Amino acid sequence: MRRSNEPLFWSLFSAGGVVTALLVPALILVTGFLVPAERVEFGRLEAILSHPVGRLALFGVASLTFIHAAHRLRHVLVDMGLRRFRGPIAVAAYLAAIGGAAWAATVAFA
Amino acid sequence: MARPYPRERSNAWFLERWPYRVFVLRELSALFLALYMGVLLVLAARVHEGSSAFRDYVDALQSPLYLAFHAVALLFALLHSVTWFQAVPKGLPLRRGEQRVAPALLIGANYVAMLALTVLVLVVVLS
Amino acid sequence: MTQAPSDATTIRLEIARYRPEQDERPVLERYDVPYRHEWVVLDALNYLKDHIDGTLSYRWSCRMGICGSCGMMVNGVPKLTCSAFLRDYLPGPIRVEPMANFPVERDLVTVLDDFMEKFQAVKPWIIRDGEQPLEEGEYRQTPAQLADFKQFSMCINCMLCYAACPVYQHEDEFLGPAVLALAQRYNHDSRDQGKGERQELIWSDEGIWDCTFVGECSAVCPKHVDPAGAIQQAKVESTVGWYRSFLAPFGRG
Ligand code: SF4
Ligand code: FES
Repeated sequence: MRRSNEPLFWSLFSAGGVVTALLVPALILVTGFLVPAERVEFGRLEAILSHPVGRLALFGVASLTFIHAAHRLRHVLVDMGLRRFRGPIAVAAYLAAIGGAAWAATVAFA
Repeated sequence: MARPYPRERSNAWFLERWPYRVFVLRELSALFLALYMGVLLVLAARVHEGSSAFRDYVDALQSPLYLAFHAVALLFALLHSVTWFQAVPKGLPLRRGEQRVAPALLIGANYVAMLALTVLVLVVVLS
Repeated sequence: MTQAPSDATTIRLEIARYRPEQDERPVLERYDVPYRHEWVVLDALNYLKDHIDGTLSYRWSCRMGICGSCGMMVNGVPKLTCSAFLRDYLPGPIRVEPMANFPVERDLVTVLDDFMEKFQAVKPWIIRDGEQPLEEGEYRQTPAQLADFKQFSMCINCMLCYAACPVYQHEDEFLGPAVLALAQRYNHDSRDQGKGERQELIWSDEGIWDCTFVGECSAVCPKHVDPAGAIQQAKVESTVGWYRSFLAPFGRG
């Protein structure tokens, strides 16, 4: 029996789960509601997103979220009945996550 | 002669009882987290492009479609937070000698952390 | 005697019957049995067998939630029928079916071979590299060491958790909740040295990693074993072990 490599994915999934659980509601509050309500100044956003800490945080949160989501969706699709496509689903999900992380890097470090 | 009836598998098991429905919703929360992260990245990209690009995107964000999306995404994000915190003591059964640290304590600590981070984000963005 | 809160005199049972010699598949049959405030579903089944249809087959033994043999689906939820009161299902009908996710031998009796095989596969006994000499006395355990696994040792093998687990329903190889909790029970026993032997199986895809933490196993468990928690803890341990195996490739994995 081959030892599973699931720990790698599961630990990234868990890290993403923690970060999103703690942070995403607040972020949605800001960018989904306060920004359209024009309560947030452009200059402030620009300063945050240009600051090294801001860039690192955006990249970290976004890439962990993508990995978290890829892993979770990969498994729930199998649970919901797509067992026959288990392999391709896993590959597609993690590739999408890597793509998402790369995109996050280009945006965050622009 | 014994002729066992084979076990039944249901393709729709996740619709059959409430706990399973909640499970699937919990897992699908990840889809909304990822979609939202996409929107956030677009917003960040517009900010880097300058104030007029940002302005255009704020107009878009004011549309009912975006507001509805963010409302749904917020609900799923909260579902994720609540279920995630609930699960923490399951994987980390902290023990103090014979006594198990009350799961409620661990869960509560997570809520406190979430609240603190939310305040921090609001302070950084608004003040 | 406590007063009956209901003036019901009978209650209807819908029972899945499967008689291999005559039924192609399980069929629901309806029976009206007397309603008693203090009766559990198993009492109603016993009445039915004694007075209405002696051919009904089902398992039971202790009538007190400890032997683990009377598990069935009651209105679609896995229950010990000796602990499920009729009064909680008023006004009825009450649907009683064999435990989900197992083949049906006959009526409410399921085939348990798969569980029994997996049960043994995790070596649920204390494994020692060697016994310590008699004069050193017994293997002593502190209350804290006992507390580390006691919860997982409360399992009565009723298999309700298997009936509640959709992953077990769909994955033939998945070891399942009770068996994995049992593995934790021995892995966490300070007297045991068999963790390494069990690891290969437990830490494989067929072990803990098929589990997606639906969590219903713990919800239906009558003994608060929390098999879902056991599996989560095993995932954490397996992950720590996985990373550690890179840091110390020649250490014990
Ligand atoms: S873990 Fe609980 S539900 Fe599962 S077999 Fe043991 S006692 Fe029954
Ligand atoms: S008859 Fe023994 S547990 Fe129900």
